[in-house]
Amino acid sequence: MAEKIPVHISRELYEKAKKFIEEQGGFQSVEELVEFLLQEALLAEEAGPAEMSREDEEKVKERLRALGYI
Amino acid sequence: MARRVFVLGLDSMPPSVLYEGMDGGGFSYLKGIVEESLRYRLRTCHPPITVPAWMVMFTGKTPGELGIYGFRHRRPGEFGYYIVNSSYIKHPAIWDEAGGKGLWVGVYGVPPSYPPRPLHGFMVTDFTTPGPGKPYTFPPWLRRELERVAGPTVFDIVYRSSEKARVARELYRMLENHQRQVDYLVDRKRWDLFIYVEISVDRAHHAFWKYFDPSHPRYTEHPEYSRVIPELYSRIDRWFERLHKQLPGDTVIIIASDHGVKAMKGAFTINQWLIEQDYLKLTVNPEELKPGAELREDMIDWGRTIAWAWGGYYSRVFINLRGREKRGTVEPKYYEETLKQLRRDIERIRGPGGEQWRNIALQPGEVYPEVNGDPPDLMVYLDDLNWRPAGTLGWPSPYLPENDRGPDDAVHDWLGVYAVYDPEGTLGRGDAGMIDIHEVRHSLEEIIFSRR
Repeated sequence: MAEKIPVHISRELYEKAKKFIEEQGGFQSVEELVEFLLQEALLAEEAGPAEMSREDEEKVKERLRALGYI
Repeated sequence: MARRVFVLGLDSMPPSVLYEGMDGGGFSYLKGIVEESLRYRLRTCHPPITVPAWMVMFTGKTPGELGIYGFRHRRPGEFGYYIVNSSYIKHPAIWDEAGGKGLWVGVYGVPPSYPPRPLHGFMVTDFTTPGPGKPYTFPPWLRRELERVAGPTVFDIVYRSSEKARVARELYRMLENHQRQVDYLVDRKRWDLFIYVEISVDRAHHAFWKYFDPSHPRYTEHPEYSRVIPELYSRIDRWFERLHKQLPGDTVIIIASDHGVKAMKGAFTINQWLIEQDYLKLTVNPEELKPGAELREDMIDWGRTIAWAWGGYYSRVFINLRGREKRGTVEPKYYEETLKQLRRDIERIRGPGGEQWRNIALQPGEVYPEVNGDPPDLMVYLDDLNWRPAGTLGWPSPYLPENDRGPDDAVHDWLGVYAVYDPEGTLGRGDAGMIDIHEVRHSLEEIIFSRR
Protein backbone atom coordinates (compact mmCIF):
# COMPACT_ATOMS: atom_id res chain seq x y z
CA MET A 1 0.00 0.00 0.00
CA ALA A 2 1.32 3.42 -0.94
CA GLU A 3 2.59 5.59 1.88
CA LYS A 4 0.07 8.22 3.00
CA ILE A 5 0.85 11.75 4.09
CA PRO A 6 -1.52 14.30 5.66
CA VAL A 7 -2.88 17.22 3.59
CA HIS A 8 -4.80 20.08 5.18
CA ILE A 9 -7.99 21.37 3.59
CA SER A 10 -10.48 23.92 4.87
CA ARG A 11 -13.09 22.68 7.38
CA GLU A 12 -15.85 24.06 5.19
CA LEU A 13 -14.73 22.04 2.16
CA TYR A 14 -14.23 18.96 4.32
CA GLU A 15 -17.79 19.18 5.63
CA LYS A 16 -19.14 19.63 2.10
CA ALA A 17 -17.19 16.59 0.90
CA LYS A 18 -18.42 14.53 3.85
CA LYS A 19 -22.01 15.50 3.11
CA PHE A 20 -21.49 14.66 -0.57
CA ILE A 21 -20.24 11.17 0.32
CA GLU A 22 -23.13 10.55 2.72
CA GLU A 23 -25.65 11.58 0.09
CA GLN A 24 -24.06 10.21 -3.07
CA GLY A 25 -22.10 7.21 -1.81
CA GLY A 26 -19.33 5.79 -3.98
CA PHE A 27 -16.55 6.73 -1.59
CA GLN A 28 -15.70 5.42 1.85
CA SER A 29 -14.10 8.59 3.14
CA VAL A 30 -13.20 12.17 2.35
CA GLU A 31 -9.61 10.99 2.03
CA GLU A 32 -10.62 8.54 -0.71
CA LEU A 33 -12.61 11.21 -2.54
CA VAL A 34 -9.74 13.70 -2.38
CA GLU A 35 -7.26 11.11 -3.62
CA PHE A 36 -9.58 10.15 -6.53
CA LEU A 37 -10.21 13.74 -7.57
CA LEU A 38 -6.54 14.68 -7.43
CA GLN A 39 -5.61 11.66 -9.50
CA GLU A 40 -8.26 12.55 -12.09
CA ALA A 41 -7.17 16.16 -12.13
CA LEU A 42 -3.55 15.25 -12.73
CA LEU A 43 -4.31 12.53 -15.26
CA ALA A 44 -4.24 14.85 -18.23
CA GLU A 45 -0.95 16.34 -17.08
CA GLU A 46 0.62 12.89 -16.55
CA ALA A 47 -0.72 11.63 -19.87
CA GLY A 48 0.27 14.80 -21.72
CA PRO A 49 3.58 13.94 -23.35
CA ALA A 50 5.72 16.53 -25.07
CA GLU A 51 4.49 15.00 -28.32
CA MET A 52 0.98 13.76 -28.99
CA SER A 53 0.56 10.12 -29.97
CA ARG A 54 1.25 9.43 -33.64
CA GLU A 55 -2.43 8.66 -34.20
CA ASP A 56 -3.56 11.90 -32.57
CA GLU A 57 -0.97 13.92 -34.43
CA GLU A 58 -2.14 12.44 -37.74
CA LYS A 59 -5.74 13.37 -36.91
CA VAL A 60 -4.67 16.93 -36.16
CA LYS A 61 -2.51 17.14 -39.32
CA GLU A 62 -5.43 15.95 -41.40
CA ARG A 63 -7.69 18.58 -39.83
CA LEU A 64 -5.11 21.36 -40.27
CA ARG A 65 -4.66 20.38 -43.92
CA ALA A 66 -8.41 20.54 -44.43
CA LEU A 67 -8.41 23.94 -42.74
CA GLY A 68 -5.63 25.18 -45.00
CA TYR A 69 -3.12 25.90 -42.25
CA ILE A 70 -0.65 23.39 -43.70
CA MET B 1 -15.65 42.01 -3.98
CA ALA B 2 -13.18 41.57 -6.86
CA ARG B 3 -14.28 42.83 -10.26
CA ARG B 4 -14.58 40.26 -12.95
CA VAL B 5 -12.96 40.38 -16.41
CA PHE B 6 -14.55 38.63 -19.38
CA VAL B 7 -12.52 38.38 -22.60
CA LEU B 8 -14.50 37.71 -25.78
CA GLY B 9 -11.97 36.56 -28.38
CA LEU B 10 -13.26 36.80 -31.96
CA ASP B 11 -10.71 35.02 -34.13
CA SER B 12 -9.68 37.15 -37.15
CA MET B 13 -12.00 40.08 -36.34
CA PRO B 14 -10.68 43.17 -38.18
CA PRO B 15 -11.17 46.82 -37.06
CA SER B 16 -13.15 47.52 -40.25
CA VAL B 17 -15.91 45.23 -39.00
CA LEU B 18 -15.92 45.89 -35.27
CA TYR B 19 -15.00 49.59 -35.25
CA GLU B 20 -16.01 50.93 -38.65
CA GLY B 21 -19.40 49.34 -39.17
CA MET B 22 -18.58 46.89 -41.96
CA ASP B 23 -20.64 44.27 -40.16
CA GLY B 24 -23.57 43.94 -42.57
CA GLY B 25 -25.84 45.03 -39.73
CA GLY B 26 -24.84 42.04 -37.60
CA PHE B 27 -23.64 43.88 -34.52
CA SER B 28 -26.04 45.95 -32.52
CA TYR B 29 -25.44 45.42 -28.80
CA LEU B 30 -21.70 44.93 -29.27
CA LYS B 31 -21.60 48.12 -31.30
CA GLY B 32 -22.82 49.98 -28.22
CA ILE B 33 -20.21 48.25 -26.04
CA VAL B 34 -17.46 49.11 -28.50
CA GLU B 35 -18.55 52.76 -28.70
CA GLU B 36 -18.15 52.99 -24.93
CA SER B 37 -14.80 51.14 -24.95
CA LEU B 38 -11.18 52.12 -25.07
CA ARG B 39 -10.47 50.98 -28.63
CA TYR B 40 -7.06 49.88 -29.86
CA ARG B 41 -6.08 48.66 -33.28
CA LEU B 42 -4.05 45.59 -32.52
CA ARG B 43 -0.90 45.00 -34.54
CA THR B 44 -0.43 41.25 -34.65
CA CYS B 45 2.77 39.22 -34.65
CA HIS B 46 5.02 37.64 -37.27
CA PRO B 47 3.51 35.43 -38.57
CA PRO B 48 -0.09 36.74 -38.42
CA ILE B 49 -1.64 33.34 -37.72
CA THR B 50 -3.93 31.98 -34.98
CA VAL B 51 -1.09 29.79 -33.71
CA PRO B 52 1.00 31.50 -32.35
CA ALA B 53 -0.94 34.82 -32.14
CA TRP B 54 -3.33 34.03 -29.27
CA MET B 55 -0.53 32.64 -27.13
CA VAL B 56 1.61 35.68 -27.94
CA MET B 57 -1.26 37.78 -26.61
CA PHE B 58 -1.72 35.80 -23.42
CA THR B 59 1.94 35.13 -22.60
CA GLY B 60 3.32 38.49 -23.78
CA LYS B 61 6.15 36.62 -25.52
CA THR B 62 7.08 36.81 -29.19
CA PRO B 63 6.78 33.75 -31.43
CA GLY B 64 10.59 33.59 -31.33
CA GLU B 65 10.61 33.44 -27.55
CA LEU B 66 7.84 30.86 -27.60
CA GLY B 67 9.60 28.95 -30.40
CA ILE B 68 6.30 28.72 -32.27
CA TYR B 69 6.08 29.88 -35.88
CA GLY B 70 2.80 28.27 -36.92
CA PHE B 71 1.06 24.96 -36.43
CA ARG B 72 3.77 22.85 -38.03
CA HIS B 73 7.52 22.84 -37.60
CA ARG B 74 10.44 21.02 -39.07
CA ARG B 75 13.34 19.60 -37.11
CA PRO B 76 16.74 20.36 -38.67
CA GLY B 77 17.67 17.64 -41.13
CA GLU B 78 14.15 16.27 -41.46
CA PHE B 79 11.78 16.86 -44.36
CA GLY B 80 8.55 15.99 -42.52
CA TYR B 81 6.95 18.12 -39.86
CA TYR B 82 5.48 17.95 -36.38
CA ILE B 83 2.52 19.81 -34.95
CA VAL B 84 2.81 21.92 -31.82
CA ASN B 85 0.39 21.61 -28.91
CA SER B 86 -0.04 23.22 -25.51
CA SER B 87 2.91 21.37 -24.02
CA TYR B 88 5.24 23.39 -26.26
CA ILE B 89 4.17 26.62 -24.51
CA LYS B 90 6.84 27.02 -21.86
CA HIS B 91 5.98 30.55 -20.71
CA PRO B 92 3.15 31.12 -18.22
CA ALA B 93 -0.04 32.53 -19.68
CA ILE B 94 -2.11 35.23 -18.01
CA TRP B 95 -4.39 32.55 -16.54
CA ASP B 96 -1.40 30.84 -14.90
CA GLU B 97 -0.34 34.11 -13.31
CA ALA B 98 -3.89 35.00 -12.26
CA GLY B 99 -4.39 31.52 -10.78
CA GLY B 100 -1.10 31.84 -8.92
CA LYS B 101 -2.42 35.01 -7.31
CA GLY B 102 -5.49 33.15 -6.10
CA LEU B 103 -7.91 34.30 -8.80
CA TRP B 104 -10.28 31.82 -10.40
CA VAL B 105 -9.82 31.48 -14.12
CA GLY B 106 -11.84 30.01 -16.97
CA VAL B 107 -10.25 29.35 -20.35
CA TYR B 108 -12.32 28.28 -23.34
CA GLY B 109 -11.08 27.55 -26.87
CA VAL B 110 -7.71 29.34 -26.80
CA PRO B 111 -5.39 27.83 -29.46
CA PRO B 112 -3.35 25.77 -28.80
CA SER B 113 -4.56 24.56 -25.39
CA TYR B 114 -4.74 20.81 -26.06
CA PRO B 115 -3.79 18.78 -24.05
CA PRO B 116 -5.47 20.69 -21.18
CA ARG B 117 -3.22 21.69 -18.29
CA PRO B 118 -4.18 22.04 -14.62
CA LEU B 119 -5.03 25.59 -13.66
CA HIS B 120 -6.80 27.42 -10.85
CA GLY B 121 -10.22 27.08 -12.41
CA PHE B 122 -11.31 25.31 -15.56
CA MET B 123 -10.29 24.89 -19.18
CA VAL B 124 -11.92 23.65 -22.35
CA THR B 125 -9.45 23.11 -25.18
CA ASP B 126 -9.56 24.43 -28.73
CA PHE B 127 -9.96 23.35 -32.35
CA THR B 128 -6.58 21.57 -32.33
CA THR B 129 -8.07 18.89 -30.05
CA PRO B 130 -7.77 15.53 -31.89
CA GLY B 131 -11.40 14.62 -31.13
CA PRO B 132 -14.21 14.66 -28.56
CA GLY B 133 -13.10 11.27 -27.21
CA LYS B 134 -9.94 12.84 -25.81
CA PRO B 135 -9.55 14.46 -22.39
CA TYR B 136 -10.25 18.03 -23.47
CA THR B 137 -11.17 19.70 -20.20
CA PHE B 138 -9.64 20.53 -16.89
CA PRO B 139 -10.80 19.20 -14.55
CA PRO B 140 -11.35 16.02 -16.60
CA TRP B 141 -14.90 15.44 -15.36
CA LEU B 142 -16.02 18.84 -16.66
CA ARG B 143 -16.33 17.22 -20.08
CA ARG B 144 -19.32 15.14 -18.96
CA GLU B 145 -21.05 18.20 -17.53
CA LEU B 146 -20.61 20.11 -20.79
CA GLU B 147 -21.82 17.25 -22.94
CA ARG B 148 -24.89 16.92 -20.75
CA VAL B 149 -25.66 20.59 -21.31
CA ALA B 150 -24.77 21.00 -25.00
CA GLY B 151 -24.26 17.55 -26.51
CA PRO B 152 -20.95 16.44 -28.04
CA THR B 153 -18.43 19.25 -28.21
CA VAL B 154 -17.89 20.64 -31.71
CA PHE B 155 -14.27 21.68 -32.07
CA ASP B 156 -14.29 22.82 -35.67
CA ILE B 157 -15.87 22.42 -39.09
CA VAL B 158 -14.47 21.69 -42.54
CA TYR B 159 -15.07 24.99 -44.27
CA ARG B 160 -13.04 24.48 -47.46
CA SER B 161 -15.95 23.10 -49.33
CA SER B 162 -18.18 24.12 -52.19
CA GLU B 163 -21.19 22.94 -50.17
CA LYS B 164 -21.72 26.40 -48.75
CA ALA B 165 -25.18 25.79 -47.33
CA ARG B 166 -23.82 22.89 -45.28
CA VAL B 167 -20.84 24.97 -44.11
CA ALA B 168 -23.23 27.70 -42.93
CA ARG B 169 -25.40 25.21 -41.01
CA GLU B 170 -22.36 23.66 -39.35
CA LEU B 171 -20.98 27.08 -38.45
CA TYR B 172 -24.19 28.04 -36.65
CA ARG B 173 -24.33 24.66 -34.94
CA MET B 174 -20.75 24.96 -33.70
CA LEU B 175 -21.33 28.50 -32.46
CA GLU B 176 -24.45 27.47 -30.56
CA ASN B 177 -22.63 24.50 -29.05
CA HIS B 178 -19.86 26.77 -27.76
CA GLN B 179 -22.28 29.41 -26.52
CA ARG B 180 -24.32 26.90 -24.54
CA GLN B 181 -21.17 25.58 -22.92
CA VAL B 182 -19.90 29.06 -22.11
CA ASP B 183 -23.32 30.00 -20.68
CA TYR B 184 -23.11 27.00 -18.38
CA LEU B 185 -19.56 27.74 -17.28
CA VAL B 186 -20.23 31.43 -16.71
CA ASP B 187 -23.30 30.64 -14.64
CA ARG B 188 -22.19 27.57 -12.69
CA LYS B 189 -18.46 27.91 -12.16
CA ARG B 190 -16.40 30.21 -10.06
CA TRP B 191 -14.33 32.67 -12.09
CA ASP B 192 -12.69 36.08 -11.85
CA LEU B 193 -11.16 35.98 -15.33
CA PHE B 194 -12.92 34.21 -18.21
CA ILE B 195 -11.27 33.99 -21.63
CA TYR B 196 -13.42 32.67 -24.49
CA VAL B 197 -12.08 32.45 -28.04
CA GLU B 198 -14.67 31.79 -30.75
CA ILE B 199 -13.16 30.23 -33.86
CA SER B 200 -16.35 30.24 -35.98
CA VAL B 201 -15.75 33.91 -36.84
CA ASP B 202 -12.51 33.01 -38.63
CA ARG B 203 -14.13 30.05 -40.39
CA ALA B 204 -17.03 32.22 -41.59
CA HIS B 205 -14.57 34.82 -42.91
CA HIS B 206 -12.60 32.24 -44.88
CA ALA B 207 -15.67 30.50 -46.28
CA PHE B 208 -17.86 33.50 -47.11
CA TRP B 209 -15.70 36.65 -47.42
CA LYS B 210 -16.14 36.95 -51.18
CA TYR B 211 -19.91 37.04 -50.65
CA PHE B 212 -19.55 39.72 -48.00
CA ASP B 213 -16.83 42.18 -48.96
CA PRO B 214 -17.71 44.24 -52.08
CA SER B 215 -14.01 45.07 -52.55
CA HIS B 216 -13.16 41.37 -52.99
CA PRO B 217 -11.84 40.78 -56.55
CA ARG B 218 -14.34 37.92 -56.94
CA TYR B 219 -17.18 39.54 -55.00
CA THR B 220 -20.46 37.75 -55.60
CA GLU B 221 -23.77 38.94 -54.30
CA HIS B 222 -25.76 35.86 -53.22
CA PRO B 223 -29.19 35.83 -51.59
CA GLU B 224 -28.15 33.21 -49.03
CA TYR B 225 -24.35 33.21 -48.73
CA SER B 226 -24.01 36.98 -48.49
CA ARG B 227 -26.09 36.81 -45.29
CA VAL B 228 -23.95 34.20 -43.50
CA ILE B 229 -21.28 36.47 -42.00
CA PRO B 230 -23.79 39.13 -40.78
CA GLU B 231 -25.99 36.34 -39.41
CA LEU B 232 -23.07 34.84 -37.50
CA TYR B 233 -22.21 38.27 -36.09
CA SER B 234 -25.85 38.73 -35.15
CA ARG B 235 -25.97 35.40 -33.31
CA ILE B 236 -22.87 36.39 -31.35
CA ASP B 237 -24.40 39.79 -30.65
CA ARG B 238 -27.74 38.48 -29.35
CA TRP B 239 -26.05 35.81 -27.25
CA PHE B 240 -23.60 38.27 -25.76
CA GLU B 241 -26.35 40.71 -24.86
CA ARG B 242 -28.11 37.99 -22.86
CA LEU B 243 -24.88 36.90 -21.19
CA HIS B 244 -23.74 40.41 -20.38
CA LYS B 245 -26.97 41.20 -18.58
CA GLN B 246 -26.36 38.28 -16.24
CA LEU B 247 -22.87 39.42 -15.26
CA PRO B 248 -22.20 41.73 -12.32
CA GLY B 249 -22.63 45.31 -13.51
CA ASP B 250 -18.99 46.24 -12.96
CA THR B 251 -17.54 43.37 -15.03
CA VAL B 252 -14.83 44.59 -17.41
CA ILE B 253 -15.45 43.32 -20.95
CA ILE B 254 -12.59 42.92 -23.40
CA ILE B 255 -13.15 42.15 -27.08
CA ALA B 256 -10.00 41.01 -28.86
CA SER B 257 -8.82 39.30 -32.00
CA ASP B 258 -5.58 37.60 -32.96
CA HIS B 259 -5.28 39.16 -36.44
CA GLY B 260 -7.46 40.72 -39.10
CA VAL B 261 -8.75 39.43 -42.41
CA LYS B 262 -8.96 40.66 -46.00
CA ALA B 263 -9.76 39.42 -49.48
CA MET B 264 -7.45 36.82 -50.96
CA LYS B 265 -6.38 38.03 -54.41
CA GLY B 266 -5.03 34.64 -55.39
CA ALA B 267 -2.36 32.06 -54.63
CA PHE B 268 1.24 32.02 -55.81
CA THR B 269 3.04 28.71 -56.28
CA ILE B 270 6.20 29.41 -54.34
CA ASN B 271 7.92 26.07 -55.03
CA GLN B 272 7.24 26.35 -58.77
CA TRP B 273 8.83 29.78 -58.61
CA LEU B 274 11.87 28.35 -56.76
CA ILE B 275 12.16 25.77 -59.56
CA GLU B 276 11.99 28.50 -62.21
CA GLN B 277 14.67 30.44 -60.40
CA ASP B 278 16.94 27.33 -60.10
CA TYR B 279 16.81 27.26 -56.31
CA LEU B 280 14.88 23.99 -56.28
CA LYS B 281 15.68 21.01 -58.50
CA LEU B 282 13.50 17.96 -58.93
CA THR B 283 14.28 14.40 -59.94
CA VAL B 284 11.03 14.35 -61.91
CA ASN B 285 9.80 16.53 -64.75
CA PRO B 286 7.74 19.29 -63.06
CA GLU B 287 5.65 19.67 -66.21
CA GLU B 288 4.41 16.10 -65.90
CA LEU B 289 3.05 16.60 -62.38
CA LYS B 290 -0.68 16.87 -61.83
CA PRO B 291 -2.00 20.20 -60.53
CA GLY B 292 -1.85 20.23 -56.74
CA ALA B 293 0.94 17.63 -56.47
CA GLU B 294 2.67 17.74 -53.09
CA LEU B 295 6.41 18.36 -52.95
CA ARG B 296 7.78 15.09 -51.58
CA GLU B 297 11.24 14.41 -50.18
CA ASP B 298 11.97 11.76 -52.82
CA MET B 299 11.05 14.20 -55.59
CA ILE B 300 13.83 16.65 -54.70
CA ASP B 301 17.24 16.46 -56.31
CA TRP B 302 18.99 17.28 -53.05
CA GLY B 303 22.48 17.42 -54.50
CA ARG B 304 21.46 20.40 -56.66
CA THR B 305 18.84 22.08 -54.47
CA ILE B 306 19.49 25.34 -52.64
CA ALA B 307 16.06 25.98 -51.06
CA TRP B 308 12.49 24.71 -50.78
CA ALA B 309 9.37 26.16 -49.21
CA TRP B 310 6.11 25.55 -47.41
CA GLY B 311 2.90 27.26 -48.37
CA GLY B 312 0.14 28.38 -46.03
CA TYR B 313 -0.94 31.79 -44.78
CA TYR B 314 2.72 32.70 -45.13
CA SER B 315 5.62 30.88 -46.70
CA ARG B 316 8.47 29.35 -44.81
CA VAL B 317 11.62 28.90 -46.86
CA PHE B 318 14.38 26.50 -45.89
CA ILE B 319 17.96 26.60 -47.12
CA ASN B 320 19.54 23.23 -47.93
CA LEU B 321 22.37 23.98 -45.56
CA ARG B 322 25.32 21.61 -45.34
CA GLY B 323 25.83 20.25 -41.84
CA ARG B 324 22.17 20.79 -40.95
CA GLU B 325 20.29 19.00 -43.72
CA LYS B 326 20.86 15.37 -44.62
CA ARG B 327 22.08 16.21 -48.12
CA GLY B 328 22.92 19.88 -47.65
CA THR B 329 24.58 21.70 -50.51
CA VAL B 330 24.94 25.29 -49.28
CA GLU B 331 28.19 25.75 -47.39
CA PRO B 332 27.68 27.53 -44.05
CA LYS B 333 30.02 30.32 -45.18
CA TYR B 334 27.65 31.07 -48.07
CA TYR B 335 24.48 30.86 -45.95
CA GLU B 336 23.99 34.60 -45.38
CA GLU B 337 24.90 35.46 -48.96
CA THR B 338 22.44 32.86 -50.28
CA LEU B 339 19.69 34.24 -48.05
CA LYS B 340 20.40 37.79 -49.21
CA GLN B 341 20.17 36.79 -52.86
CA LEU B 342 16.99 34.79 -52.27
CA ARG B 343 15.44 37.73 -50.43
CA ARG B 344 16.27 40.08 -53.28
CA ASP B 345 14.71 37.64 -55.74
CA ILE B 346 11.58 37.21 -53.62
CA GLU B 347 11.22 40.96 -53.24
CA ARG B 348 11.30 41.26 -57.03
CA ILE B 349 8.35 38.88 -57.60
CA ARG B 350 5.61 40.75 -59.40
CA GLY B 351 1.91 40.17 -59.92
CA PRO B 352 0.29 38.39 -62.88
CA GLY B 353 -0.01 41.67 -64.81
CA GLY B 354 3.56 42.71 -64.00
CA GLU B 355 2.35 44.94 -61.19
CA GLN B 356 4.60 45.73 -58.26
CA TRP B 357 4.04 43.58 -55.17
CA ARG B 358 4.95 44.49 -51.61
CA ASN B 359 6.79 41.27 -50.74
CA ILE B 360 8.42 40.86 -47.37
CA ALA B 361 11.09 38.27 -46.62
CA LEU B 362 12.41 38.22 -43.06
CA GLN B 363 14.96 36.26 -41.11
CA PRO B 364 13.56 35.27 -37.70
CA GLY B 365 16.52 36.90 -35.93
CA GLU B 366 15.48 40.28 -37.35
CA VAL B 367 12.02 40.28 -35.81
CA TYR B 368 12.39 38.45 -32.50
CA PRO B 369 14.61 39.19 -29.50
CA GLU B 370 15.14 35.43 -29.10
CA VAL B 371 14.80 32.65 -31.64
CA ASN B 372 13.91 29.32 -30.04
CA GLY B 373 12.53 26.08 -31.39
CA ASP B 374 12.67 25.23 -35.07
CA PRO B 375 12.38 28.45 -37.11
CA PRO B 376 12.45 28.64 -40.91
CA ASP B 377 15.34 30.41 -42.63
CA LEU B 378 13.03 32.95 -44.21
CA MET B 379 9.46 34.06 -43.46
CA VAL B 380 7.80 35.31 -46.62
CA TYR B 381 4.66 37.40 -47.14
CA LEU B 382 3.59 38.00 -50.73
CA ASP B 383 2.14 41.37 -51.70
CA ASP B 384 1.60 42.32 -48.06
CA LEU B 385 -0.37 39.06 -47.50
CA ASN B 386 -2.78 39.66 -50.39
CA TRP B 387 -1.49 36.59 -52.22
CA ARG B 388 -1.38 33.26 -50.44
CA PRO B 389 1.76 31.17 -50.98
CA ALA B 390 0.91 27.70 -52.33
CA GLY B 391 3.44 24.92 -51.79
CA THR B 392 2.00 22.49 -54.33
CA LEU B 393 3.25 21.84 -57.87
CA GLY B 394 1.98 20.94 -61.33
CA TRP B 395 0.11 24.16 -62.04
CA PRO B 396 0.14 25.72 -65.51
CA SER B 397 0.88 29.15 -64.02
CA PRO B 398 2.44 30.33 -60.78
CA TYR B 399 -0.62 32.57 -60.25
CA LEU B 400 -3.72 30.70 -59.14
CA PRO B 401 -7.06 32.51 -59.00
CA GLU B 402 -8.11 30.29 -56.09
CA ASN B 403 -6.39 28.58 -53.21
CA ASP B 404 -4.60 25.31 -54.03
CA ARG B 405 -6.25 23.36 -51.20
CA GLY B 406 -9.93 24.05 -51.60
CA PRO B 407 -12.11 27.18 -51.64
CA ASP B 408 -10.90 29.99 -49.43
CA ASP B 409 -11.93 33.61 -49.86
CA ALA B 410 -9.73 35.36 -47.33
CA VAL B 411 -6.20 35.86 -46.11
CA HIS B 412 -5.04 37.25 -42.80
CA ASP B 413 -4.28 40.89 -42.19
CA TRP B 414 -1.95 42.69 -39.81
CA LEU B 415 -4.55 44.56 -37.78
CA GLY B 416 -6.95 43.05 -35.28
CA VAL B 417 -8.88 44.60 -32.39
CA TYR B 418 -8.47 45.10 -28.66
CA ALA B 419 -11.36 46.97 -27.03
CA VAL B 420 -11.71 47.42 -23.27
CA TYR B 421 -15.13 48.24 -21.87
CA ASP B 422 -15.06 49.41 -18.28
CA PRO B 423 -18.61 50.19 -17.13
CA GLU B 424 -17.19 52.37 -14.35
CA GLY B 425 -15.32 54.48 -16.90
CA THR B 426 -12.01 54.46 -15.02
CA LEU B 427 -10.07 53.03 -17.96
CA GLY B 428 -11.24 55.66 -20.41
CA ARG B 429 -12.95 55.31 -23.75
CA GLY B 430 -12.53 56.29 -27.39
CA ASP B 431 -9.86 55.58 -29.96
CA ALA B 432 -6.57 54.77 -28.26
CA GLY B 433 -4.34 54.19 -31.28
CA MET B 434 -2.24 51.12 -31.86
CA ILE B 435 -1.29 48.34 -29.46
CA ASP B 436 1.19 45.64 -30.26
CA ILE B 437 -0.13 42.12 -29.61
CA HIS B 438 2.86 41.47 -27.32
CA GLU B 439 1.75 44.39 -25.13
CA VAL B 440 -1.74 43.03 -24.50
CA ARG B 441 -0.52 40.78 -21.71
CA HIS B 442 0.74 43.82 -19.80
CA SER B 443 -2.53 45.66 -20.39
CA LEU B 444 -4.48 42.65 -19.11
CA GLU B 445 -2.28 42.47 -16.02
CA GLU B 446 -2.99 46.12 -15.26
CA ILE B 447 -6.72 45.59 -15.66
CA ILE B 448 -6.91 42.33 -13.73
CA PHE B 449 -4.39 42.83 -10.92
CA SER B 450 -4.42 46.53 -10.20
CA ARG B 451 -8.14 46.80 -9.66
CA ARG B 452 -8.56 44.55 -6.65
